[in-house]
Amino acid sequence: MFDAYLSIFIGVLPSMCAGILATFAVTIIFKTSYTTNFAQGVISALGAYVSVEITMMLGWPIWLSVILGIIACFAVGVAIDVGIFRQGRYVNTLGKQIISMGLISIIIGIIPFIFLVTKLEAVPQRPFISLTEGFKIGSTFVQYNTLISIGITGVLLALVFILLQKTKWGLSVRATASNEIVAGMMGVNTRIITAVSWGIAGGLGAVAAIIYVGNVSLSSGYIMTMTQINAFLAGILGGFATFYGPVIGCAIIYLLNALVGCVCVHVEGLSMWKAAIVYLIVMLLVLWKPQGLFGKRTVKKV
Amino acid sequence: MVKHSFSNLLGREQRQEESAIKALRAIKKIAQKPVLHFAIFAVILSVIKVLSEQKILQSSFATAVGSTIIFCIVGLGFCLLLGYSALASLGTAGFIAVGAYCAYFCLSQWQFTIGTAFLLAILVAFVVGVVVGFISLRIEGIYLAIVTLGVAQILKEAFAALKDTIRLTGKQITISWLNDMRLTTDHVYFILVIALFILMVLTKNLMDSPTGRAMLAMKNSTSAAQAFGISLLKYRLLAFVLSTIYAAIGGFLYMLFIRNASNSSDTLFALSTSLNILGAVIIGGTKSIWGTIGGTFIIYGIDKMFLQDIEFFRANPTLITLFCGILVIVVVMFFPGGLVQLLLEIKLKIKKLIVKIREGIYGKDIG
Repeated sequence: MFDAYLSIFIGVLPSMCAGILATFAVTIIFKTSYTTNFAQGVISALGAYVSVEITMMLGWPIWLSVILGIIACFAVGVAIDVGIFRQGRYVNTLGKQIISMGLISIIIGIIPFIFLVTKLEAVPQRPFISLTEGFKIGSTFVQYNTLISIGITGVLLALVFILLQKTKWGLSVRATASNEIVAGMMGVNTRIITAVSWGIAGGLGAVAAIIYVGNVSLSSGYIMTMTQINAFLAGILGGFATFYGPVIGCAIIYLLNALVGCVCVHVEGLSMWKAAIVYLIVMLLVLWKPQGLFGKRTVKKV
Repeated sequence: MVKHSFSNLLGREQRQEESAIKALRAIKKIAQKPVLHFAIFAVILSVIKVLSEQKILQSSFATAVGSTIIFCIVGLGFCLLLGYSALASLGTAGFIAVGAYCAYFCLSQWQFTIGTAFLLAILVAFVVGVVVGFISLRIEGIYLAIVTLGVAQILKEAFAALKDTIRLTGKQITISWLNDMRLTTDHVYFILVIALFILMVLTKNLMDSPTGRAMLAMKNSTSAAQAFGISLLKYRLLAFVLSTIYAAIGGFLYMLFIRNASNSSDTLFALSTSLNILGAVIIGGTKSIWGTIGGTFIIYGIDKMFLQDIEFFRANPTLITLFCGILVIVVVMFFPGGLVQLLLEIKLKIKKLIVKIREGIYGKDIG
């Protein structure tokens, strides 16, 4: 029985890596642009499409495709901020949300025109290393692909957190996040900070999607929707007030998923409602702590 | 004597003139009533169906109009939510699925009558709306979109696990008190028109009622609305539940009209439907019923009525999505009032132009 549980927990790890990266991307945009970016999922799917197109249609090596995918999404992120969000600075919060929803439609509409991969009947999974390679813990099979995914996620997260805490750039990001106008008065070039944040969010999203399509075949531009939902919920659960809160929240959500999955092994017909149960637990947690687990109480002055 | 009859004549003429003016005023008053406009719109929609039955219009055209009417109904609910309470939801597709699956299970599996099935669909939508709304609206307004996005995905997956493709046959859609008369799609078309008319009137009345004004106040400034004693949670919840019910009605009618829907191939229950409805409402003008209906006809109607006949658009179905996305962003950034406001501005400009031309011809009016 223990082996079955272990395999469930190991099985959830790759999507958890993707989720954590997506969560960080959502958080950095939420903090610098004050909006929930609903297009995050499709932007990262765009990265996956670039990467899959390059490996499948051009036959280039996979590491190159990953790098090009990241660069493409970085560029798309910066372009969105410079081209759209910077022009719409005076649009209210709801308007910004709606702009990001409109972006989903644009990207979904554009994907079939750019990528030849969409003409194929089905795109196979595209892991870093063949999924059959791996080793065993007891009787549980662990793929090398999972380990690589964890490694990439860990390195990227560590890099971004060190940048945020130790560098001048990180200081200006944190200043912009806490108050854009005051940060601008103090000499921070908030325009560049916001644009680069969008770029980084796009790049992290691309990595997330590339990790995700290692285990799931790339079927449509909506492939990252579930990951994105988890990322948003993680943000609410952890509280958008800090950078680490949402990331921990995301880990909690995926571990809860695995835990409920373990229960579902014993109860028949429950697996259909797995996601619903997890969300219900998360929502109850949020009702208990409306600011999030690591949130700070904000006082609104009128 | 002569004088007397003359004055009598004058009086009669005056009276006639007065009564004519009175009648004209009364007609004008009636003509300004929105209900009459809605009724005229419903008659036009019915005429389209009649013309298509007489083979003057293609029958596919009427079907396209019919399915657009369904999305108009869903859009009206969304208009209440977005235009009157400033809340954005991404769960519309999930709530359409609630209505559609209710119709399927009640009519095909459990053999309920249509009335019972309809009431049950509304009840289920009400319960779902209250639960989702109560949890998400308590946290903060901007989180509603996130939570509804998740709820829609859960609903879609759960329904897909229950039954992937749902189909109703003509045998299952009967009216018991009319000797089990079978409802054909032609009948359902007129039901759609009537439903749209009723919902338009209801929505208009709600918008003009104190409730509508409270919602509008809440949209413009939450703090000011609270200061006037408006309970944010109550009115937000009301708007959200209403939009959920409208979407469920849309899904129910969709099942009666189109008769089949699939979770895997169809995009009806996917996120794109929610986004298109949102786009339609924003493009038309969030606060206006006519704007919502115009926007829906732009997003759904033009595509289904005209573009499907052109090979290029049939080969690239995502083109309309792209078009919708671009329009949404342009409207949000530059024309917050939507198409309706644009038309109003054009009307004002034309009026100004006419005044200018008059001045050019007759000279400036000094008095």
